[in-house]
Amino acid sequence: MSETTTTPMMVSVVNKATSAFRQLPVWVQNVSFSTFGMAILLLLWWLGGIWIASNPDTESFASFAPAPAFEALYELVASGEIWQTIWSSLYRILVGLFWAIILGVPVGIIIGYFSTIRQIANMPFQLLRMISPLAWMPIAVLVYATWDNAIVFLITIAAVWPIVFGTAHGVQRIDPLWFKVAKNLGADGYQMLMRVIMPAIAQDVFAGIRLAVGVAWVVLVPAEYLGVTSGLGYAINDARDTLDYAKLAAVVVVIGIIGYMLDSIAARLIKLYSWRME
Amino acid sequence: MTTHSSSVWIAELSHSYKKQAPQVLTNINLSIPKGQLTAMIGRSGCGKSTLLQMIAGLLLPSDGAVRIGGKTVVKPSAKWNMMFQKPSLYPWMSVRENAALGLVFAGTYKQKQDRVDELLDMVGLSEHKDKNVQQLSGGQQQRVALARSLATEPEILLLDEPFSALDAFTRTALQTEVAQICHEQGITMIMVTHDIEEAIAMADKVVIMSHNPGEIVGDLDVPLTYPRDRSAADFIELKETLFNQFEQIDLAKQKEMAEVANQ
Repeated sequence: MSETTTTPMMVSVVNKATSAFRQLPVWVQNVSFSTFGMAILLLLWWLGGIWIASNPDTESFASFAPAPAFEALYELVASGEIWQTIWSSLYRILVGLFWAIILGVPVGIIIGYFSTIRQIANMPFQLLRMISPLAWMPIAVLVYATWDNAIVFLITIAAVWPIVFGTAHGVQRIDPLWFKVAKNLGADGYQMLMRVIMPAIAQDVFAGIRLAVGVAWVVLVPAEYLGVTSGLGYAINDARDTLDYAKLAAVVVVIGIIGYMLDSIAARLIKLYSWRME
Repeated sequence: MTTHSSSVWIAELSHSYKKQAPQVLTNINLSIPKGQLTAMIGRSGCGKSTLLQMIAGLLLPSDGAVRIGGKTVVKPSAKWNMMFQKPSLYPWMSVRENAALGLVFAGTYKQKQDRVDELLDMVGLSEHKDKNVQQLSGGQQQRVALARSLATEPEILLLDEPFSALDAFTRTALQTEVAQICHEQGITMIMVTHDIEEAIAMADKVVIMSHNPGEIVGDLDVPLTYPRDRSAADFIELKETLFNQFEQIDLAKQKEMAEVANQ
């Protein structure tokens, strides 16, 4: 068959396949796209592994490749070792996020509500926000008696800003008439907070928390390189020291999966508390 | 018909937003008997909304006072309820939750939840009560706001151009409904509008305000029964009378302002 007839035929086959695919339920389409994306990622990882193995300078790192990594991951799961590691890290993240929320939401409400305070706070907050959380490490170590607390502090200081700014943004977007109407209907301060302000800003607060989870998770691993003897960051460092690159890659996979899960939870919360209709 | 003891007294009220700033309202004296439906009419910027907010207790006058039932108004109360130009419903709540909010704030929702259903029925929204308010049309949303205002059994209903954003049909229907409800339930109604027909359609008495600074410059009694027939001769005649009165005052005011400017 000549090329001139094959091309239109292929185009029409592709078109038919595309329109058939678009007929499928949305969730099937979504799963297909995600699976395809993950397949590309795995392929790239696999190719990278081959390239590392074939290069004499890097061949000692060959167990970074998918096959040894998944084998190591299986062992970590089967032996139960990974759960303690995950729990140590999750605990630090959750405590850090807890403090970030406890501090960030009220501060966000205050700077969102009072424009003068917002103007005063703007510059120092923007300045503090831009400091890498890891830069606080020496101070954290000085202030806190345990490494655990120092890490929690670093996570808090990293996670608090998106929550402050998300909350403030939410408060600023509140329709001023909502306050007037509520006052007019006899709301006291507490009712105003619980029935008007909190539901109005919930989705923006959770959007802030979602960003905070991302930042906290990124900060966690390097923070765990230091001092502590548990957690995913420690596991990576330990694997590097013992030249166990398969385990190192396995832990990286775990970090990715848990980060994705945390982000999905935050995204679900945003959706749950979102009241804006499309 | 229920009777309410309260009436609104406004004595020597003046207001400026800042010290030394020109007054937006000057020397307002007004007495509104219980159960009367009053319309305050004037151009934009004559301070009529400001005055309404002062009656609601959402703003305090710099001079003089508003008294309701003999007591000076210093803060908002669910007994005198305001409806705004925008329905200002809470979009995270259902129709029913919005209508019940005043009762929830007062802690009487459990005892009075039937009232919410009755009111939603009255404003024609009983089949929509579980919907999110964002699914309703503008007119339906304003009806929810009306039910919300009435749920707390207010003695006074304050309306700040509440129908101006609606289409003509919905506007006319709601004007008639609200006037009828206030009339039947003995609620004192004070509304702000710049629509002459709306004033004649709803009010027992129309108060005319002029601007720069806002002051009361005239009034007109509307001795028509409810429901009002807008095509009737006496309705049209009152509309014209009010229009002429308003125009004369407006012309006199403009002349006065021009003279001041020339000096």
